[in-house]
Amino acid sequence: MAKTIMVVDDSASLRQVVSIALKGAGFDVIEGCDGKDALSKITGQKIHLIISDVNMPNMDGITFVKEVKKMANYKFTPIIMLTTESQEAKKQEGQAAGAKAWVVKPFQPAQMLAAVSKLILP
Amino acid sequence: MSMDQALQTYIEESRGLLEEMESILLRLETEPQDEDTVNAMFRAAHTIKGSAGLFGLDAIVSFTHVVENVLDKVRDGELLVNDALVELLLKCCDHIGLLVTIVAEAGEALDTEQAATGEALAAALKSMIGGAGVLDATMPAVHEARLDASGGGQLEGDNWHLSLIFGRDVLKTGMDPTSFIRYLSTIGDIVSLVTDDSALPGLSELDPESCYLTFEIEFKSEADKQTIEAVFEFVQYDIKLRILPPPSHLAAFIDRIEHASGNTDMLGQLLIEAGILTSHELDGALSAQEEMMGQDSGAKLPIGEVLVKEGVVHKEIVDVALEKQRQIRDTKAQEAKFVRVSAEKLDELINLVGELVIAGAGASLQAQRSGDVALHESTSVVSGLVEEIRDGALKLRMVEIGETFNRFQRVVRDVSRELGKEIGLEISGAETELDKTVVEKIGDPLMHLVRNAMDHGIESAEARVAAGKAAKGTLRLNAYHDSGSIVIEVADDGGGLKKERILKKAVERGIISPGQSLSDSEIYNLIFEAGFSTADQVTNLSGRGVGMDVVKRNIQALRGTVDIESAEGRGTTVRIRLPLTLAIIDGFLVGVGKSAFVVPLDMVLECIELPETDRRAADTRNYVNLRGEVLPFVRLRDQFEVNAAAGKRENIVVVQYGGQKAGFVVDELMGEFQTVIKPLGNVFRHLRGISGSTILGTGEVALILDVPALVKLAVAREGQMTEKAA
Repeated sequence: MAKTIMVVDDSASLRQVVSIALKGAGFDVIEGCDGKDALSKITGQKIHLIISDVNMPNMDGITFVKEVKKMANYKFTPIIMLTTESQEAKKQEGQAAGAKAWVVKPFQPAQMLAAVSKLILP
Repeated sequence: MSMDQALQTYIEESRGLLEEMESILLRLETEPQDEDTVNAMFRAAHTIKGSAGLFGLDAIVSFTHVVENVLDKVRDGELLVNDALVELLLKCCDHIGLLVTIVAEAGEALDTEQAATGEALAAALKSMIGGAGVLDATMPAVHEARLDASGGGQLEGDNWHLSLIFGRDVLKTGMDPTSFIRYLSTIGDIVSLVTDDSALPGLSELDPESCYLTFEIEFKSEADKQTIEAVFEFVQYDIKLRILPPPSHLAAFIDRIEHASGNTDMLGQLLIEAGILTSHELDGALSAQEEMMGQDSGAKLPIGEVLVKEGVVHKEIVDVALEKQRQIRDTKAQEAKFVRVSAEKLDELINLVGELVIAGAGASLQAQRSGDVALHESTSVVSGLVEEIRDGALKLRMVEIGETFNRFQRVVRDVSRELGKEIGLEISGAETELDKTVVEKIGDPLMHLVRNAMDHGIESAEARVAAGKAAKGTLRLNAYHDSGSIVIEVADDGGGLKKERILKKAVERGIISPGQSLSDSEIYNLIFEAGFSTADQVTNLSGRGVGMDVVKRNIQALRGTVDIESAEGRGTTVRIRLPLTLAIIDGFLVGVGKSAFVVPLDMVLECIELPETDRRAADTRNYVNLRGEVLPFVRLRDQFEVNAAAGKRENIVVVQYGGQKAGFVVDELMGEFQTVIKPLGNVFRHLRGISGSTILGTGEVALILDVPALVKLAVAREGQMTEKAA
């Protein structure tokens, strides 16, 4: 069974591109348009990896990561944060919250896949 | 029963055992983990190994030993049997079979490919043992990477060595150590992986959410250290990573350190620049250094030692880097000794030194006249010191030309790329010193000449090869002192100047009239005329016809000359000759009647007496026979219209300038004299043959001869006289 990755970003186009790339690599993808939306879609199913933006409406990425880390089932789910060069502070904040991996925006799908493949197999 | 027969028995026995192992392995694929079958397999391997020892078959012993170890773990339930393991063991059986066959046929040793396969299998097995069950799920990927590489016949030992010490909490953050190891195998081959589980506590204390394992990896890859470190980027705060480069990289690293730019004198930065250390590693070592200092509360351990201690860098490399650091510091120290002084102050000082020289000469003269030996001695000591002060003061303004030359390394590299030519730059005479003001002004003309030589001088690689020359062109920058001037040469080994083309162009442009007869050097020098360009195409580098005449004008503004020498097909040399522009020179004082003249000493070759016969003939010819050489001369008495009867004797001072010799006929030779050059005022600017004046110790004025102009004059006159005579 294919592994499942949750992609959380408020940009629909980004979600689409990332989804296409991940699906192409053999993953199942769940999309969330912000932290709140993503939390509502986490319903106990197995999620192998979460890719989340930092800056989002309703619930930002840092809060979202903190919430995820509180859930017993998802405590060990690796999280990749999408950061920008200028967000060094955010990056550290994200790390403190529990997201240890990151991809710097803008990125190519291949970069995203490389980062994903460092963490999980399809 | 002989040994041969026993060996035969062994071979048959081994083959039987191998068959048995094989069938057990195949059975294991369908019905895993039957204790008896595993035991049987272990026994088989054990027997093969044990008997091989009896026959001294070391290759079989060592390989089977590893297989046996793995099977031992399987038997003990430490290692789970899975498809990958079965696959691997089947391959091992084949390999043992191969080894046995070699023994049976008394054949040669394994060929390299077979040997590599064996090593690969052994390494894969060893990593199995290290993996000790925990890693079962991910091990296959690692092994496959290793097996893929086995065909390459790689050299054992020439691999990166990685130590991965993951933090206890790495799993809790969602990071899986094995996934990084798997990713590592995408940029190279994991030759072997040993898991150190010594930190693993007993079951009762074991926290299943903690990572207790460390990994030692032999890694074969062409990737550089940064790339390898980047694999572990996501766990960088949860890992103690040590990456030691393969031994074969050491020489390259050492070379890189030795050729470091010298931008930094910090050891760590030096190592980072050479690609040996990553900045992350350096940060780690620096904090380790702080820690150590805290512990010992003593002296700070040098960072180099810390790096070696932490196992980040090889000791040899640190030693080389330390040496380089010392060198860089030395140069830095030299640089640091420089004091910026305004040119004005320097000029003032040199003026004063000039006055001191004159006053000193006066004092010496008085002392000589007084006949007081003690006074004479004192003044001669003072003169010696004054001379040293003079030299020192003048040196203040002298800088080496090397820095100017070195700037062209980059220019040559960039321009040759732009032109698509392969051109190397050779620099010599970089230590030649000349006045700072000259150095500053020579940069632009040199740039023109260098670009011109690269664009028009050196041919394309194809043309060069066709002409039987090396495809790579060479440009040479050279500087040396010659008779009181500095000569800077820009030479290329290109196609040389084509006389016909220059002549044709010069006629076309109206620079010369058709049919005018010119010497080779006159033809070459036409390219310095304004509006001259022989290039068929105008490129963006040169060839606009503005370069060369600007070059000439700039050089003339520095009181220098430029000439060109060329051999068709072999190259062109442009020679720039510049005065050293010294304010004080060593002069040679001569007297004509009551007047005194100074000849710059470094242009004086020798002094001879003008023979009586030549004196008498001097009205009709202006040359003497100097050891079989024609030496044209100038009578200073006539040249400067000195109104005094000629002395009883006359002397010739032989001077040389720009490869030409000439003689100055004078009455008296008065010897060396420190000459402070006082420039002539504007009124006298048009004077020919005089370049300045100086004041003698007696307070009298002596004129400094303009040797280049007088030599030219003498040579020209001699030519005219000869023509007339003919």
